[in-house]
Amino acid sequence: MIKPYTEINKRIKSGDVVVVNAEEMIEIVKNRGIKVAAEEIDVVTTGTFGPMCSSGAFLNFGHSDPPIKFEHLWLNDVHAYHGNAAVDCYIGVTRMADIRPFEYGGGHVIEDLIAGKSIRLRGNSYTTDCYPLAKVDTEFTIDDLNQAILCNPRNAYQRYACAVNSTDRILYTYMGKLLPNYGNAHYSGSGCLNPLCNDPDYETIGFGTRIFLGGGVGYVIGEGTQHNPINNYGSLFVKGDLKQMISEYLKGVNYEKYGTSMFVGLGIPIPILNENLARKTASKDEEIFTDVVDYGVPRRDRPILKKVSYKELKSGYIELYDNKIKCSSLSSLFYARKIANELKKWIEDGIFFLNPPAEPLPKETEYKPMKQTSELKFVKDLKRTAVICYEDCDIKTVAEKIITQNMNHIVITDRENHLKGIVTSFDVTKAIAEEKTNLKEIITTRVIITTDNEPIEVAGRKMKLNDISALPVIDENNKVIGIITSEELMQN
Amino acid sequence: MTIINVTLPFGVIKDISDYSRFINKILKYDISFNILKFSTGSSGINLLLDIPEGKIKTITESLKKNNIIVNKKGRVIIDDDKCIDCGACISLCPTDALHFNSEDRLEFSYEKCIGCLLCLDSCPRYAIEEM
Ligand code: SF4
Ligand code: SF4
Repeated sequence: MIKPYTEINKRIKSGDVVVVNAEEMIEIVKNRGIKVAAEEIDVVTTGTFGPMCSSGAFLNFGHSDPPIKFEHLWLNDVHAYHGNAAVDCYIGVTRMADIRPFEYGGGHVIEDLIAGKSIRLRGNSYTTDCYPLAKVDTEFTIDDLNQAILCNPRNAYQRYACAVNSTDRILYTYMGKLLPNYGNAHYSGSGCLNPLCNDPDYETIGFGTRIFLGGGVGYVIGEGTQHNPINNYGSLFVKGDLKQMISEYLKGVNYEKYGTSMFVGLGIPIPILNENLARKTASKDEEIFTDVVDYGVPRRDRPILKKVSYKELKSGYIELYDNKIKCSSLSSLFYARKIANELKKWIEDGIFFLNPPAEPLPKETEYKPMKQTSELKFVKDLKRTAVICYEDCDIKTVAEKIITQNMNHIVITDRENHLKGIVTSFDVTKAIAEEKTNLKEIITTRVIITTDNEPIEVAGRKMKLNDISALPVIDENNKVIGIITSEELMQN
Repeated sequence: MTIINVTLPFGVIKDISDYSRFINKILKYDISFNILKFSTGSSGINLLLDIPEGKIKTITESLKKNNIIVNKKGRVIIDDDKCIDCGACISLCPTDALHFNSEDRLEFSYEKCIGCLLCLDSCPRYAIEEM
């Protein structure tokens, strides 16, 4: 069976079109089979509503009198990018306000703009003969702008990894707050409702596809940046008129200690042109898989711990190392469904038509890592021999070692070289002043450590975060194999 | 078993890794309990203890006697106008006080909240407020 776009649009016009959302499609195919579903269903709608950092908007303010060519400009204290003509700018959602960082950012500016709120514009210029004005400080609303165009270079990832944390401290990431020792798990994406999951071979989604974007009509304008179709991590470049959008579907957010972003509501209709598409749009959460990834490893290639289905993710718990871990989403399933249903209504009401793409999305794009010309250095390259004392020695022995070896940090181990603690010259000085003799009283047992293969930037951040100046280096058996101090990092 | 949330104010214990020994000393009743979660808060070290249901009273009293704060129930409220039903707070809640209803909207069961405040800084919309 082949059903052309023209046929579907004719039915939209006459009001006979049959539209269901991707969750409903699963039931229909289950109960009536693919063949019947392909014939009877014309369009399946999808939706997603989650944090999408690669988002922002182009704004045009019109010319001032006398004219200005911005060099720098701020919208509600959020620095916007200016590198185009005089009064164009791009406001990106992860840019944070100068005075309220980690609270208000570009995404909030866009949300406020759509809500009709007044935005403060401050800008300056080096001035030219044609643009003599040096400074602007004014207020505007969205109605005062010539154009306000949402333009997001990477949205609607096909799937996203599920994050857990193996370290012993809380991590604050773009995947939310991750509790230590695999204390919780976070995932993103709407699974069976996700747009690209319903058309994984890009048969209908491509350049020019008309979509639901932020509550208005938008378009796919190409593949997203980092589009990675080979590994099922496809993404979309989208644009739409901000003036049509509603703030319910574009929400500024801030993740603690990570920064700001924006929730984008996006929905794509999939025309059921053939039985294949009927089958694909009926794919279930248990058939869509993603990776559980350890965000405790601060490297580009984080360890993948296992594969997990969206069914398991949505159940609220995942199994990991024989434990049940509480798991929740970062994106909203409620709003994803609401978007799919809203789009369904538009089509049923005859106000939204489907179009074939001008070009298909590329299917073989290579996804490359950054080329870094300076060599990455690791702890093993800079570490030095640790000065060690056994746990059963007394403070005097430690003090002697500090003096003879000229070392501020003494690592304490047992006889087999297992790490037991650390003592600094300050601890020892204090102990002597207080006339303490027992090492146990002054030893720090909760030691922050590093390993040979940790990049030195990561080790440096650990020192900074914990306000310490040395990290013992241990192997996989908790045996001490060296020490790295802020001195080595500084010399590097 | 039931979960209680206690705060050991800074100064009560010297070494950060000492908390479990310290609690054990206080609870000399030969009671078995688990430490579910450990976090450093603004006023001290927060512990979530899983204790036997019938011993709540004795345990709470002896903890209090030793200057450990046993936190009240229900210390947060959710601002529905700000909440976008994302779910980022749910996995942090050690009880099921924060959960989705059948429509996948966030629901808060006040009576299940033990006031651990783990959820507080997990919300990207600042929809969770401490009471
Ligand atoms: S404070 Fe938050 S995380 Fe803790 S029990 Fe209450 S709702 Fe759950
Ligand atoms: S994290 Fe905040 S916005 Fe998300 S569901 Fe919880 S309260 Fe609502």
